[in-house]
Amino acid sequence: MQDDKAPITRQKFIEELLRYRKGSVTRRHFLGVTGLGTAMAVMGGGLPLLSPRRAFAQGIGDQVVLATWPNYHDPANFDAFAAETGAAVQVNVFGSNEEMLAKLQAGGSGWDVFVPTNYTITTYVEADLIEPLDLSKLPNYDAASFEARFADAGTVDGKLYAVPKNWGTTGMAWDSSKAKAPFTSWKEFFDVTRTDFSGRTMVHDYQLTTIGNALKYFGYSFNSVDPAELADAEKLLIEIKPHLFAISSDYQPAMRNGDAWLTMCWTGEGKQMNRDIPEILFAVGKDGGEIWSDYYAIPKNAPHRDAAYALINYLIDPAVNAREAAAHGFPVADARVNALLPPEVLSDPILYPAAELLNAQEFGAAVTLTDPNRAEVMARFKSA
Amino acid sequence: MRIYALSVYLFLYLPIGIIALFSFSAGRSASQMQGFSLQWYGKALSNPFVIDALKTSATVAFTSAVLASVFGTMAALALAGMKGRLRALFDAMVYVAIMIPGIVIGIATLIALVTVFDGVNPWLEPLTGYRLSMGFGSLTAAHVLFTMSLVIVIVRARIEALDRTLIEASGDLGAGPVATFWQVTLPLLSPAILAGFLLSFTFSFDDFIIAFFVAGSETTLPIYIFSSIRRGVTPEINAIGTMVMGASLLLLVVAQVMLRRAGGNNRT
Amino acid sequence: MAMSRQGARYLLLGPAGLWYAALLVLPLAVVLVYSFGERAAAGGYAPAFTLAQYANLGSRWTAFQNTLVLAPAGTLAALLIAYPLAYYLAVRVDPKWRTVLLVLVIVPFWTSILIRSYAWIYLLGGRGIPQLLADLGLGDWRLINTPFAVLVGIIYGYLPLMVFPIYVSLEKLDKRLLEAASDLGAPPWRRFVQVTLPLSLPGVATGSMLVFILLMGEYLIPQMLGGGKVFFVGNALVDLFLQSRNWAFGSAMAVTLVATMLVVVTVYMRFLKRIGAARDDVGLM
Repeated sequence: MQDDKAPITRQKFIEELLRYRKGSVTRRHFLGVTGLGTAMAVMGGGLPLLSPRRAFAQGIGDQVVLATWPNYHDPANFDAFAAETGAAVQVNVFGSNEEMLAKLQAGGSGWDVFVPTNYTITTYVEADLIEPLDLSKLPNYDAASFEARFADAGTVDGKLYAVPKNWGTTGMAWDSSKAKAPFTSWKEFFDVTRTDFSGRTMVHDYQLTTIGNALKYFGYSFNSVDPAELADAEKLLIEIKPHLFAISSDYQPAMRNGDAWLTMCWTGEGKQMNRDIPEILFAVGKDGGEIWSDYYAIPKNAPHRDAAYALINYLIDPAVNAREAAAHGFPVADARVNALLPPEVLSDPILYPAAELLNAQEFGAAVTLTDPNRAEVMARFKSA
Repeated sequence: MRIYALSVYLFLYLPIGIIALFSFSAGRSASQMQGFSLQWYGKALSNPFVIDALKTSATVAFTSAVLASVFGTMAALALAGMKGRLRALFDAMVYVAIMIPGIVIGIATLIALVTVFDGVNPWLEPLTGYRLSMGFGSLTAAHVLFTMSLVIVIVRARIEALDRTLIEASGDLGAGPVATFWQVTLPLLSPAILAGFLLSFTFSFDDFIIAFFVAGSETTLPIYIFSSIRRGVTPEINAIGTMVMGASLLLLVVAQVMLRRAGGNNRT
Repeated sequence: MAMSRQGARYLLLGPAGLWYAALLVLPLAVVLVYSFGERAAAGGYAPAFTLAQYANLGSRWTAFQNTLVLAPAGTLAALLIAYPLAYYLAVRVDPKWRTVLLVLVIVPFWTSILIRSYAWIYLLGGRGIPQLLADLGLGDWRLINTPFAVLVGIIYGYLPLMVFPIYVSLEKLDKRLLEAASDLGAPPWRRFVQVTLPLSLPGVATGSMLVFILLMGEYLIPQMLGGGKVFFVGNALVDLFLQSRNWAFGSAMAVTLVATMLVVVTVYMRFLKRIGAARDDVGLM
C-alpha cells in the first residue's frame, strides 16, 4: 500500500481483484496495491492541465461521451479504456428515457454512445436520431450468446441499431427495519405509503414506471394508454402525493441515509443498497410491473464515432462486462459473461426473481413512451 | 443588534462551513466526516472532466464578458444623449433582456436555434461539411445577451454622471473626436467598464439554467456539479466548491484593489 | 470628420442591435408562435393555430400558485432578515470593520448556488437539523422536500442581493438628521419610522425587485430542496421541455410567465412611484 511501484504477483493481483469486486476494498486501494494507479498516472501523463494528452496509435481521438444511467458502470473500466486507447470517457448521467429523448430531439447532444431502453429504440429510428451499427467494428458482439427477449428490440426493420447491455426489473426497495411485513405488490406499495410509510416513499421522476405501477394497483396493464385507466392512475398518484418523500429517480442517497424507507427501484440499484445495508430489501410486484433491457447505441452525428465503436466494443468484451456486472449488480443477457460470473450471483433472488414472478412483468411498449396522455398525466401529477 | 448580526452571519456561513468541512473527509460519503485527508482535492484536480468543465466555464465566461464589455460600451456611448424612437426601442430591449427570467431565455434560445439549425443544416452540410449545433457558440451568445445589457446600464449611468466639460475642453484644445475618445472618455469610463466586465464574468461563470438548455455538448462547471449531485456525491464536489469559493474570494480582493486604483487615477 | 455623427451612432449600436434581434426578439417571437402550436406525435412541436395550450394552463395552476405565494413570501422574509443587518452595517458598526463585514455578506453569493443548496439538503435532511431536534427531545421534524425547505433555500440564496441595496441607501443617510430628530425629543422608534425608514425605501424597493424577479423564474432551489414536490413555474417549464417534450405547451407557459411578470413588476413600480420610493436604478432593474 505504501509503495505503489512494488511489483505484485499474479496470485496477489487476482486476490485483490476478487476483494475489489466484492466491494471490500475501495477502488483507490485496489489501484494502489496492484500498481494500476501508477500505470494509469504514467499513461495519462500526470495532470491533464499540465500536459497535452498523448496521441495514440489507433487515432480514435482523446475523448468519448457516454450518456447513461446512474450507478451503471465500473469507473475502473473507463480508466482502463482511457489507458488503452487514449480516449477519456465523459459520463453524462440521466434519470429517464424521456430526458434522453428530449435532449436528442433538441439536437446537438454531443453524445457518442448512449444507453436506451428496449421500448425507445423504434422511436429513435422513426425520428432518425440513431444510426445502424456497423458490426465489423464490434468484433466482441456475438448475437448467438444473447437470449432473444433481451436482444430483439435492438433490431428494427431488419437493421441492428443497438446491442444489449443489461436487463432487469423495476421493483420496490424498502427498509425492512421499518416495515411490518415484506412488500410483495404494487397494491401494498401504494397502500402502505398512505399509512405507515407516509412521508417516506419515493416514486420515479418519469412517467413510464410511476404511472405503470399505479396502473398495476388497479390490475390494469403496465402499458395501458386507455384514458379511463390513466384517469384512475392519476387520481391515485395525486391522492398519495402528500404522502411522498420525493418524486425523484435518484433515490439511493435518501434511502441510504434513512430519509426514505421505500422506493421504486431498478434491480441492480436494489442489489447495490442491499449489499451495503442488508436491511434494505428488494422485490418485484407479484401483480406485475416492468421488465426491461438496456442497449448500447450510437446517435446520429456522434462527434467521436470511432471512439464510440471502440468504447462499445470494449464494454461488451465478456471479461470487461463481467467486471461491470460485479460493480453495478445488474443481470447481463450475454451467456459468455454469465459463464464468468460466480454462481452465487446467478442464483441471487434479487437479480433473478422466480420464474412466476418474472412472467408477471411486462416489457415497456413504444407507445407507452410516446403517448401524449401519459406524459400529460405525469406532468399534472408533478405540478399538482 | 450585534447578536442579531452575528446570527445572520452564522446562518450565512454554517452551510459553507459544512461544505468545506466535508471536503477534508477521508471517507467516500459527502455527508459524514470520516477522518481528515486532502485526497478529494487531489482527485478533483486530476479528474479530466472537472478540468475540462472548468476550462469550458472560464472560456465561455471570458469570451462573453469581453464581447459584452465591448458591445455594451459601444451601445452605451451611442445611446448617451440620444432621443427618439431608436433610443426608446433600445431602452425597452435592455429592460426586457434584464428582466426576463434566465429559464425563459434558455428555452427560447434553444427552440429558436434548433428551428434555425434544422432549416440551415440540410443546405450547409452538403456544401461545407459542417453542421451548426448547440454548443460553445450558442452558450456564449446567450450569456452575452444578458451581460451586455448589464454593461449598457452600468456604463450609461457613468456617462450620465460624467463631467461633459472635460470632453468639450478636449475638443477646444484641438483634439479630434478619436483622440478625445481614447485619451479622455475611455479612461473616464474604465472603472464602469471594468465593473461591468467582472459582473459579466461572474454571471456567466455561475450560470446554470441558461447553460442547462443551450450548452449542447459542452459541460460547464455548474452543469458538471449538477450531474454529480445527481449521481450520488463524493466529497469531490465539496472540494471543487471550496476551491471555487477560495478563487472567487481572491478575485474579489484583486477586483477591489484594481477598482480602487482605477478610481484613484480618475480623480487626479 | 469622415463619417457623419449619425453614421457613427449606427455603427456603435450595430453589434448590440444584432444581438437583440437574433437572441432576444427572434427567440421570443418563436416562443410566441410555438405557443399556438401543438405537440408533435413523439414530442416536440407541430405547426397549428390553436388556443388549446393556453386553455390547458389551468392544469398547472398549483405551479403558478406556488410561485406567486413563495416568491413574494421569500422576498418578504429576505427583506425582514436583511434590513436589520443592513442597518447595523450602515449605521451601527465601527467603520473600520465595515468593509470586511460587507465582503463577508457577499462571499457566500460567490459560491455556486448549486453547492450552497446542496449543503441545505444535508442540513435539512434526516441526519441534519431534524436529528439535532430529536436528540434535544423536540419531536420528529420533517424539513427537507417541504415548502419550508424551499423558503429557507430562497432566503439563503438571495439574502446578499437584499442586504446591499438597503445598505447603500442607509449609508447615504445623513446622521445629522437623526441627531436633529433626537434633539427635538423624538423617541428612537419615531426617529426610525419618520426619518430612517422613508430614506431607505429606495434600497428596499431595488432589493425586493431584484429578488422577486429572480424568484419568479426560479428552478434550482425548488428542484433541489423541494424533492420534486414543490413545483414552481420554472420547474413545470423544465419538465415540459426535458421530460414530456411538449414544446407548444411549454411555450404557452413561458409566454404566460413573462406576461405575469410584466404585469406584477409594472404594478409594483407604479406603487413605488406613488409612495415616492422609486429611484432611477429601480427603473433599470
